[in-house]
Amino acid sequence: MENKIRIAVDAVGGDHAPAEVVKGAVEAVKRYPDIQVILVGPGELIEEELKKYEYPEEQMVLQPASEIISTEEAPVAAIRDKQDSSIVVASKMVKEKKADAFVSAGSTGAVLTAGTLIVGRVKGVERPPLATPIPTEKGMSLLLDCGANVDAKPSQLVQFAQMGSLYMENVMGVKNPGVAILNIGVEEEKGNALTKATYPLLKECRNIRFVGNIEAREIPAGGADIVLCEAFAGNIVLKLYEGVSRTLLSVVKKGLLTSLRSKLGALMIKPALKETLKSFDSSEYGGAPLLGLNGLVVKTHGSAKAKEITNTILQSRTFVLKGTNEKIKECFAGIERVRSTK
Amino acid sequence: MEFEKIRDIVAEVMNMEAEEITMESTFVDDLGCDSLDIQQILLAVQTEFDVKIPDNAVDGMETIGDVVEQLKQR
Repeated sequence: MENKIRIAVDAVGGDHAPAEVVKGAVEAVKRYPDIQVILVGPGELIEEELKKYEYPEEQMVLQPASEIISTEEAPVAAIRDKQDSSIVVASKMVKEKKADAFVSAGSTGAVLTAGTLIVGRVKGVERPPLATPIPTEKGMSLLLDCGANVDAKPSQLVQFAQMGSLYMENVMGVKNPGVAILNIGVEEEKGNALTKATYPLLKECRNIRFVGNIEAREIPAGGADIVLCEAFAGNIVLKLYEGVSRTLLSVVKKGLLTSLRSKLGALMIKPALKETLKSFDSSEYGGAPLLGLNGLVVKTHGSAKAKEITNTILQSRTFVLKGTNEKIKECFAGIERVRSTK
Repeated sequence: MEFEKIRDIVAEVMNMEAEEITMESTFVDDLGCDSLDIQQILLAVQTEFDVKIPDNAVDGMETIGDVVEQLKQR
Protein backbone atom coordinates (compact mmCIF):
# COMPACT_ATOMS: atom_id res chain seq x y z
CA MET A 1 0.00 0.00 0.00
CA GLU A 2 2.75 2.40 1.00
CA ASN A 3 4.72 1.89 -2.19
CA LYS A 4 1.84 2.38 -4.57
CA ILE A 5 2.00 5.22 -7.07
CA ARG A 6 -0.77 7.58 -6.06
CA ILE A 7 -2.54 9.30 -8.92
CA ALA A 8 -5.19 11.92 -8.15
CA VAL A 9 -7.81 12.03 -10.89
CA ASP A 10 -10.25 14.88 -11.38
CA ALA A 11 -13.50 12.87 -11.37
CA VAL A 12 -15.62 15.80 -12.52
CA GLY A 13 -13.39 17.27 -15.23
CA GLY A 14 -14.23 16.83 -18.91
CA ASP A 15 -17.23 16.44 -21.19
CA HIS A 16 -17.90 12.85 -20.17
CA ALA A 17 -17.26 13.11 -16.43
CA PRO A 18 -17.78 11.45 -14.08
CA ALA A 19 -18.90 8.30 -15.98
CA GLU A 20 -15.99 7.92 -18.42
CA VAL A 21 -13.41 9.17 -15.90
CA VAL A 22 -14.42 6.60 -13.30
CA LYS A 23 -14.59 3.86 -15.94
CA GLY A 24 -11.07 4.74 -17.10
CA ALA A 25 -9.77 4.82 -13.54
CA VAL A 26 -11.24 1.38 -12.80
CA GLU A 27 -9.59 -0.06 -15.90
CA ALA A 28 -6.23 1.43 -14.86
CA VAL A 29 -6.24 -0.08 -11.36
CA LYS A 30 -7.27 -3.45 -12.77
CA ARG A 31 -4.29 -3.40 -15.12
CA TYR A 32 -1.64 -2.31 -12.64
CA PRO A 33 -1.63 -3.42 -8.98
CA ASP A 34 1.12 -0.91 -8.16
CA ILE A 35 -1.06 2.17 -8.60
CA GLN A 36 -3.67 3.75 -6.41
CA VAL A 37 -6.18 6.13 -7.99
CA ILE A 38 -7.56 8.92 -5.83
CA LEU A 39 -10.82 10.08 -7.37
CA VAL A 40 -11.32 13.75 -6.48
CA GLY A 41 -14.80 15.28 -6.61
CA PRO A 42 -18.26 15.20 -5.02
CA GLY A 43 -18.45 11.96 -3.02
CA GLU A 44 -21.98 10.84 -3.84
CA LEU A 45 -21.50 11.36 -7.55
CA ILE A 46 -18.36 9.25 -7.61
CA GLU A 47 -19.76 6.52 -5.39
CA GLU A 48 -22.76 6.21 -7.68
CA GLU A 49 -20.44 5.57 -10.64
CA LEU A 50 -18.14 3.23 -8.74
CA LYS A 51 -21.10 0.99 -7.87
CA LYS A 52 -21.20 -0.12 -11.49
CA TYR A 53 -17.82 -1.82 -11.33
CA GLU A 54 -15.81 -4.43 -9.53
CA TYR A 55 -12.25 -3.42 -8.74
CA PRO A 56 -9.55 -3.90 -6.10
CA GLU A 57 -10.90 -1.57 -3.43
CA GLU A 58 -7.57 -0.82 -1.78
CA GLN A 59 -6.47 0.71 -5.07
CA MET A 60 -9.32 3.20 -5.30
CA VAL A 61 -9.67 6.07 -2.85
CA LEU A 62 -12.19 8.89 -2.80
CA GLN A 63 -11.15 12.43 -1.91
CA PRO A 64 -14.18 14.72 -1.47
CA ALA A 65 -14.23 18.09 -3.24
CA SER A 66 -17.55 19.85 -3.46
CA GLU A 67 -16.89 22.46 -6.16
CA ILE A 68 -16.35 22.25 -9.91
CA ILE A 69 -14.46 24.75 -12.06
CA SER A 70 -16.07 25.13 -15.46
CA THR A 71 -14.23 25.93 -18.69
CA GLU A 72 -15.99 29.31 -18.87
CA GLU A 73 -14.47 30.59 -15.62
CA ALA A 74 -11.39 32.84 -15.48
CA PRO A 75 -8.65 30.44 -14.29
CA VAL A 76 -6.83 32.55 -11.67
CA ALA A 77 -10.06 33.82 -10.06
CA ALA A 78 -11.55 30.32 -10.09
CA ILE A 79 -8.47 28.82 -8.42
CA ARG A 80 -8.52 31.56 -5.79
CA ASP A 81 -12.27 31.44 -5.13
CA LYS A 82 -12.98 27.72 -5.38
CA GLN A 83 -10.69 26.25 -2.77
CA ASP A 84 -12.81 23.10 -2.52
CA SER A 85 -12.84 22.42 -6.25
CA SER A 86 -11.50 19.13 -7.58
CA ILE A 87 -8.66 20.91 -9.41
CA VAL A 88 -7.47 22.87 -6.36
CA VAL A 89 -7.84 19.93 -3.95
CA ALA A 90 -5.95 17.56 -6.26
CA SER A 91 -3.20 20.12 -6.95
CA LYS A 92 -2.72 20.63 -3.21
CA MET A 93 -2.41 16.87 -2.78
CA VAL A 94 0.48 16.86 -5.26
CA LYS A 95 2.08 19.86 -3.58
CA GLU A 96 1.78 18.23 -0.16
CA LYS A 97 3.13 14.93 -1.57
CA LYS A 98 -0.13 13.14 -0.80
CA ALA A 99 -0.33 12.26 -4.49
CA ASP A 100 2.43 11.60 -7.02
CA ALA A 101 0.48 12.90 -9.99
CA PHE A 102 -2.71 14.71 -10.94
CA VAL A 103 -4.70 13.93 -14.08
CA SER A 104 -7.55 16.11 -15.32
CA ALA A 105 -9.73 16.46 -18.40
CA GLY A 106 -11.16 19.67 -16.96
CA SER A 107 -10.57 23.35 -17.75
CA THR A 108 -7.13 23.66 -19.39
CA GLY A 109 -6.59 27.17 -18.03
CA ALA A 110 -7.48 26.17 -14.48
CA VAL A 111 -5.32 23.03 -14.57
CA LEU A 112 -2.33 24.97 -15.93
CA THR A 113 -2.81 27.76 -13.39
CA ALA A 114 -3.22 25.38 -10.47
CA GLY A 115 -0.21 23.38 -11.61
CA THR A 116 1.99 26.44 -11.89
CA LEU A 117 0.75 28.38 -8.86
CA ILE A 118 -0.17 25.63 -6.39
CA VAL A 119 2.15 22.74 -7.23
CA GLY A 120 4.88 25.23 -8.19
CA ARG A 121 7.89 25.04 -10.47
CA VAL A 122 11.11 23.12 -10.13
CA LYS A 123 13.82 25.56 -9.08
CA GLY A 124 15.51 26.91 -12.18
CA VAL A 125 12.58 26.31 -14.52
CA GLU A 126 11.48 29.61 -16.02
CA ARG A 127 8.17 28.52 -17.53
CA PRO A 128 6.51 25.07 -17.51
CA PRO A 129 5.40 24.04 -21.03
CA LEU A 130 2.45 21.86 -21.95
CA ALA A 131 3.88 18.92 -23.88
CA THR A 132 1.35 17.29 -26.18
CA PRO A 133 1.98 13.90 -27.78
CA ILE A 134 0.86 13.89 -31.42
CA PRO A 135 0.55 10.81 -33.63
CA THR A 136 2.85 10.63 -36.66
CA GLU A 137 3.72 8.16 -39.40
CA LYS A 138 6.65 6.97 -37.27
CA GLY A 139 4.71 6.69 -34.01
CA MET A 140 4.46 9.87 -32.02
CA SER A 141 6.18 13.21 -31.57
CA LEU A 142 6.04 15.70 -28.75
CA LEU A 143 4.77 19.17 -29.59
CA LEU A 144 5.70 21.73 -26.98
CA ASP A 145 4.64 24.24 -25.91
CA CYS A 146 1.02 23.68 -26.85
CA GLY A 147 -0.86 25.84 -24.44
CA ALA A 148 0.97 27.29 -21.45
CA ASN A 149 3.14 30.15 -22.77
CA VAL A 150 1.75 32.12 -25.69
CA ASP A 151 4.98 34.13 -25.75
CA ALA A 152 8.33 32.58 -24.93
CA LYS A 153 11.96 33.61 -24.77
CA PRO A 154 14.83 31.72 -26.44
CA SER A 155 16.15 30.58 -23.04
CA GLN A 156 12.72 29.15 -22.26
CA LEU A 157 12.61 27.21 -25.54
CA VAL A 158 15.98 25.71 -24.63
CA GLN A 159 14.54 24.56 -21.31
CA PHE A 160 11.49 23.14 -23.12
CA ALA A 161 13.89 21.14 -25.31
CA GLN A 162 15.74 19.78 -22.29
CA MET A 163 12.58 18.79 -20.42
CA GLY A 164 10.97 17.38 -23.58
CA SER A 165 14.03 15.23 -24.24
CA LEU A 166 13.92 13.79 -20.71
CA TYR A 167 10.21 13.10 -21.10
CA MET A 168 10.59 11.36 -24.47
CA GLU A 169 13.48 9.21 -23.24
CA ASN A 170 11.95 8.21 -19.93
CA VAL A 171 8.23 8.06 -20.54
CA MET A 172 7.89 7.39 -24.26
CA GLY A 173 11.01 5.24 -24.55
CA VAL A 174 12.56 7.20 -27.43
CA LYS A 175 16.34 7.00 -27.16
CA ASN A 176 18.28 10.16 -27.93
CA PRO A 177 15.26 12.05 -29.35
CA GLY A 178 15.80 14.65 -32.06
CA VAL A 179 14.70 18.20 -31.27
CA ALA A 180 13.65 20.65 -33.99
CA ILE A 181 12.42 24.24 -33.94
CA LEU A 182 9.10 24.78 -35.71
CA ASN A 183 9.88 27.26 -38.45
CA ILE A 184 8.94 28.52 -41.90
CA GLY A 185 12.03 27.00 -43.49
CA VAL A 186 14.82 24.63 -42.58
CA GLU A 187 17.73 27.04 -43.08
CA GLU A 188 19.31 28.51 -39.93
CA GLU A 189 18.68 32.11 -41.00
CA LYS A 190 14.94 31.56 -41.59
CA GLY A 191 12.23 32.58 -39.15
CA ASN A 192 11.36 35.30 -36.68
CA ALA A 193 13.39 36.85 -33.88
CA LEU A 194 12.54 34.00 -31.49
CA THR A 195 13.57 31.12 -33.76
CA LYS A 196 16.72 32.92 -34.96
CA ALA A 197 17.84 33.59 -31.41
CA THR A 198 16.98 30.06 -30.24
CA TYR A 199 18.81 28.21 -33.03
CA PRO A 200 22.42 28.94 -31.88
CA LEU A 201 21.50 28.28 -28.25
CA LEU A 202 20.19 24.83 -29.12
CA LYS A 203 23.23 24.11 -31.26
CA GLU A 204 25.38 24.71 -28.20
CA CYS A 205 23.12 22.82 -25.78
CA ARG A 206 24.97 19.66 -24.74
CA ASN A 207 22.20 17.53 -23.23
CA ILE A 208 19.89 17.42 -26.25
CA ARG A 209 20.17 16.25 -29.86
CA PHE A 210 19.30 19.28 -31.95
CA VAL A 211 18.37 18.50 -35.55
CA GLY A 212 17.66 22.03 -36.83
CA ASN A 213 14.45 23.61 -38.06
CA ILE A 214 11.34 21.76 -39.16
CA GLU A 215 8.50 22.96 -41.35
CA ALA A 216 4.96 22.13 -40.22
CA ARG A 217 4.31 19.83 -43.19
CA GLU A 218 7.04 17.46 -41.99
CA ILE A 219 5.47 16.98 -38.55
CA PRO A 220 2.89 14.31 -39.55
CA ALA A 221 5.64 12.29 -41.22
CA GLY A 222 7.55 12.24 -37.93
CA GLY A 223 10.29 14.66 -39.04
CA ALA A 224 11.39 15.24 -35.45
CA ASP A 225 10.74 13.55 -32.11
CA ILE A 226 10.31 16.91 -30.40
CA VAL A 227 8.84 19.95 -32.11
CA LEU A 228 9.65 23.13 -30.28
CA CYS A 229 7.65 26.36 -30.37
CA GLU A 230 5.87 28.92 -28.22
CA ALA A 231 2.26 28.06 -27.32
CA PHE A 232 0.81 30.49 -29.86
CA ALA A 233 2.21 28.53 -32.78
CA GLY A 234 1.95 25.20 -30.94
CA ASN A 235 -1.73 25.51 -30.27
CA ILE A 236 -2.44 26.53 -33.87
CA VAL A 237 -0.53 23.50 -35.15
CA LEU A 238 -2.34 21.20 -32.74
CA LYS A 239 -5.80 22.47 -33.64
CA LEU A 240 -5.04 22.39 -37.37
CA TYR A 241 -3.74 18.84 -36.96
CA GLU A 242 -6.96 17.78 -35.26
CA GLY A 243 -9.16 19.68 -37.70
CA VAL A 244 -7.50 18.32 -40.85
CA SER A 245 -7.64 14.75 -39.50
CA ARG A 246 -11.32 15.05 -38.67
CA THR A 247 -12.26 16.67 -41.98
CA LEU A 248 -10.19 14.25 -44.03
CA LEU A 249 -11.81 11.28 -42.36
CA SER A 250 -15.26 12.72 -42.87
CA VAL A 251 -14.61 13.41 -46.56
CA VAL A 252 -13.14 9.94 -47.15
CA LYS A 253 -16.09 8.33 -45.38
CA LYS A 254 -18.54 10.34 -47.45
CA GLY A 255 -16.71 9.39 -50.64
CA LEU A 256 -16.74 5.71 -49.75
CA LEU A 257 -20.50 5.71 -49.32
CA THR A 258 -21.48 7.44 -52.56
CA SER A 259 -22.22 4.32 -54.68
CA LEU A 260 -22.71 0.60 -54.34
CA ARG A 261 -19.28 0.02 -55.88
CA SER A 262 -17.50 2.31 -53.44
CA LYS A 263 -19.47 0.79 -50.54
CA LEU A 264 -18.23 -2.66 -51.50
CA GLY A 265 -14.71 -1.29 -51.73
CA ALA A 266 -15.10 0.28 -48.30
CA LEU A 267 -16.17 -3.04 -46.87
CA MET A 268 -13.03 -4.66 -48.19
CA ILE A 269 -10.59 -2.06 -46.91
CA LYS A 270 -12.35 -1.53 -43.58
CA PRO A 271 -10.14 -3.82 -41.41
CA ALA A 272 -6.89 -2.40 -42.84
CA LEU A 273 -8.19 1.17 -42.56
CA LYS A 274 -9.26 0.63 -38.96
CA GLU A 275 -5.84 -0.69 -38.04
CA THR A 276 -4.08 2.19 -39.80
CA LEU A 277 -6.26 4.82 -38.17
CA LYS A 278 -5.64 3.29 -34.75
CA SER A 279 -2.00 4.33 -34.98
CA PHE A 280 -3.17 7.89 -35.56
CA ASP A 281 -5.47 7.88 -32.54
CA SER A 282 -4.09 10.44 -30.08
CA SER A 283 -5.95 8.83 -27.16
CA GLU A 284 -3.49 5.92 -27.40
CA TYR A 285 -0.71 8.19 -26.13
CA GLY A 286 -2.37 9.70 -23.07
CA GLY A 287 -2.48 13.35 -22.07
CA ALA A 288 -0.19 16.36 -22.11
CA PRO A 289 2.04 16.82 -19.05
CA LEU A 290 2.92 20.25 -17.76
CA LEU A 291 6.67 19.79 -17.47
CA GLY A 292 8.93 21.34 -14.84
CA LEU A 293 6.63 21.31 -11.82
CA ASN A 294 7.34 19.99 -8.32
CA GLY A 295 5.08 17.05 -9.11
CA LEU A 296 3.30 15.70 -12.15
CA VAL A 297 0.21 17.41 -13.60
CA VAL A 298 -1.28 15.99 -16.80
CA LYS A 299 -4.02 17.58 -18.86
CA THR A 300 -5.97 15.27 -21.09
CA HIS A 301 -8.56 16.17 -23.75
CA GLY A 302 -11.84 17.64 -22.51
CA SER A 303 -13.54 15.06 -24.72
CA ALA A 304 -11.53 12.18 -23.25
CA LYS A 305 -13.31 8.86 -22.96
CA ALA A 306 -12.40 6.01 -20.63
CA LYS A 307 -9.57 4.68 -22.83
CA GLU A 308 -7.76 8.02 -22.85
CA ILE A 309 -8.20 8.43 -19.09
CA THR A 310 -6.74 4.94 -18.56
CA ASN A 311 -3.81 5.66 -20.86
CA THR A 312 -3.13 8.98 -19.16
CA ILE A 313 -3.07 7.32 -15.74
CA LEU A 314 -0.69 4.67 -17.05
CA GLN A 315 1.49 7.33 -18.69
CA SER A 316 1.65 9.11 -15.29
CA ARG A 317 2.67 5.82 -13.67
CA THR A 318 5.60 5.49 -16.09
CA PHE A 319 6.58 9.13 -15.50
CA VAL A 320 6.77 8.54 -11.75
CA LEU A 321 8.37 5.08 -11.97
CA LYS A 322 11.18 6.39 -14.18
CA GLY A 323 11.88 9.27 -11.77
CA THR A 324 11.39 11.75 -14.61
CA ASN A 325 10.84 14.72 -12.33
CA GLU A 326 13.98 13.96 -10.36
CA LYS A 327 15.89 13.98 -13.65
CA ILE A 328 14.36 17.34 -14.56
CA LYS A 329 15.38 18.67 -11.14
CA GLU A 330 18.93 17.42 -11.66
CA CYS A 331 19.01 19.06 -15.07
CA PHE A 332 18.15 22.46 -13.62
CA ALA A 333 19.99 22.20 -10.32
CA GLY A 334 22.05 25.31 -9.72
CA ILE A 335 20.26 27.37 -12.37
CA GLU A 336 18.92 30.66 -11.05
CA ARG A 337 15.60 31.82 -12.43
CA VAL A 338 15.72 34.82 -14.72
CA ARG A 339 14.95 37.89 -12.68
CA SER A 340 12.26 39.46 -14.75
CA THR A 341 8.62 40.28 -14.22
CA LYS A 342 8.03 40.88 -17.92
CA MET B 1 1.30 38.45 12.49
CA GLU B 2 0.66 39.19 8.81
CA PHE B 3 4.36 39.65 8.15
CA GLU B 4 5.37 36.34 9.70
CA LYS B 5 2.81 34.40 7.67
CA ILE B 6 3.75 36.17 4.43
CA ARG B 7 7.43 35.65 5.16
CA ASP B 8 6.85 31.91 5.59
CA ILE B 9 4.91 31.72 2.32
CA VAL B 10 7.65 33.57 0.44
CA ALA B 11 10.33 31.39 2.02
CA GLU B 12 8.50 28.25 0.91
CA VAL B 13 7.83 29.43 -2.64
CA MET B 14 11.37 30.77 -3.14
CA ASN B 15 13.02 27.90 -1.29
CA MET B 16 14.99 30.22 0.99
CA GLU B 17 15.46 30.86 4.70
CA ALA B 18 12.71 32.94 6.35
CA GLU B 19 15.36 34.98 8.16
CA GLU B 20 16.55 36.39 4.85
CA ILE B 21 13.19 38.07 4.29
CA THR B 22 12.31 41.48 5.75
CA MET B 23 9.54 44.03 5.36
CA GLU B 24 11.81 45.97 3.02
CA SER B 25 12.72 42.99 0.79
CA THR B 26 11.77 43.67 -2.81
CA PHE B 27 10.25 40.79 -4.74
CA VAL B 28 12.34 41.13 -7.89
CA ASP B 29 15.74 42.51 -6.87
CA ASP B 30 16.14 41.14 -3.34
CA LEU B 31 14.22 37.88 -3.47
CA GLY B 32 14.78 37.03 -7.14
CA CYS B 33 11.08 36.50 -7.87
CA ASP B 34 9.82 36.39 -11.42
CA SER B 35 6.22 37.15 -12.41
CA LEU B 36 5.04 33.58 -11.78
CA ASP B 37 6.67 33.53 -8.34
CA ILE B 38 4.83 36.73 -7.44
CA GLN B 39 1.52 35.31 -8.64
CA GLN B 40 2.19 32.12 -6.69
CA ILE B 41 2.95 34.09 -3.52
CA LEU B 42 -0.10 36.32 -3.87
CA LEU B 43 -2.41 33.36 -4.48
CA ALA B 44 -1.06 31.67 -1.35
CA VAL B 45 -1.47 34.91 0.64
CA GLN B 46 -5.07 35.32 -0.52
CA THR B 47 -5.83 31.72 0.41
CA GLU B 48 -4.12 32.00 3.79
CA PHE B 49 -5.89 35.22 4.78
CA ASP B 50 -9.11 34.47 2.88
CA VAL B 51 -9.04 37.83 1.10
CA LYS B 52 -9.07 38.98 -2.49
CA ILE B 53 -6.33 41.31 -3.64
CA PRO B 54 -7.61 43.24 -6.69
CA ASP B 55 -5.50 42.97 -9.85
CA ASN B 56 -4.94 46.75 -9.96
CA ALA B 57 -3.41 46.63 -6.47
CA VAL B 58 -0.86 44.00 -7.49
CA ASP B 59 1.06 46.37 -9.79
CA GLY B 60 2.00 48.65 -6.91
CA MET B 61 3.39 45.88 -4.72
CA GLU B 62 7.15 45.89 -4.81
CA THR B 63 8.05 44.85 -1.28
CA ILE B 64 6.82 42.42 1.36
CA GLY B 65 5.76 45.51 3.33
CA ASP B 66 3.44 46.54 0.48
CA VAL B 67 1.59 43.24 0.80
CA VAL B 68 1.31 43.59 4.58
CA GLU B 69 -0.06 47.10 4.09
CA GLN B 70 -2.59 45.86 1.54
CA LEU B 71 -3.84 43.23 3.99
CA LYS B 72 -4.19 45.75 6.81
CA GLN B 73 -6.44 47.87 4.62
CA ARG B 74 -8.94 45.01 4.25
